[in-house]
Amino acid sequence: MDKDIKDLDLLILGGGPAGLTAAMYGARAKLELLLIENQMVGGQVRSSYTIENYPGFKTIEGSKLAEFMKDQALELGVKIDEFDKILKVTLSHNEKLIETEKFIYRPKALIISTGGAPKKLPIPNENNFSGKGIHYCAVCDGAVYEDCTLGVVGGGNSALEEALFLTKFASKVIMIRRYDYFKGEKATLENLLKHPKVEVLYNWDLVDVKGDMFVNKAMIKNTKTGEEKEICLDAVFGYIGNEPKTDLFREYIELNNEGYILTDANMETNIKGVYAAGDVREKVFRQITTAVADGTIAALAAEKYIADKKIY
Amino acid sequence: MSVTIYTTNTCPWCDKTKEYLRANGVSYNEINVAKNKEAAMAMIQKSGQRAVPVLDVDGSIIIGFDKSRLDKLFNIR
Repeated sequence: MDKDIKDLDLLILGGGPAGLTAAMYGARAKLELLLIENQMVGGQVRSSYTIENYPGFKTIEGSKLAEFMKDQALELGVKIDEFDKILKVTLSHNEKLIETEKFIYRPKALIISTGGAPKKLPIPNENNFSGKGIHYCAVCDGAVYEDCTLGVVGGGNSALEEALFLTKFASKVIMIRRYDYFKGEKATLENLLKHPKVEVLYNWDLVDVKGDMFVNKAMIKNTKTGEEKEICLDAVFGYIGNEPKTDLFREYIELNNEGYILTDANMETNIKGVYAAGDVREKVFRQITTAVADGTIAALAAEKYIADKKIY
Repeated sequence: MSVTIYTTNTCPWCDKTKEYLRANGVSYNEINVAKNKEAAMAMIQKSGQRAVPVLDVDGSIIIGFDKSRLDKLFNIR
């Protein structure tokens, strides 16, 4: 079956804060645009329990902030397709083709804001116990572990925030931290450290998990002494960082060694009219605020690119 | 067709699955397993795992938002 080719000004791939912001600016610039997000509109924000560092909101649930952003975009007339999937892209200076399950899109400009996916825990039994005691989304699966003992692996903001969220259900939360410090915000860390249900194992790394049908033990190793031991727990939630979702673009777009997209200060990639914004882009700080900034710049740059193309 | 979806309060993939079902005219019965140990155990037994959402469609179990399986089961094009 031949797919219809759809021409439009701007196509945005990914509906996290970067993509939604780009869409808002694009809509206000009266560009004909579409945003495709076949996972979660709101991106990682949608599965964060609370956000306390986004200006204008002292504290807000991630799902609410995501809904606000989505609603604002929709009210501005942004079209969002939440159920189509990108199959293939063909990108050049002159033509950008994005084939999905339903259509082939031919936008004048493209913004890639596909973000990142959680890194899987690098342990032998990861696959065997996925969903059976190995999890990556506390707001999804945390409530299934009422009165259980849970482990959290990681040291950044996500690990700290989601560990705090898990204390709502768990009888105990054990932070398994391979270093003797955390990287996340001090304010969140203070709340975590004084929580009566939280125990921190500094300098211990997760080696593997064990169990029959479900996880019931974790093997951990001391990173200083090399000592190994088993601890009883019912599940481990992994927050050891993200990896960029850039596989589809690899053939055309310049990436760094870790797979993040390289851009100039205007978010433009090595291909004219193709921009990247948010966590998918190579940068030092990945925050909601920086994603929103990237999305703004990418949309304004794309608007200028499209206008210039119409003139010449 | 009897469709049951097991969810928790804050699970974004549960919302997405429900939205997809609604958009395609599929009615369902929702069971929130948070604070409901009996329902949680039933879900765990049926699906052999503990992540949500879980769908029970006339005995066929679908774990997570699995669009291609939903499309097949409900003849969605």
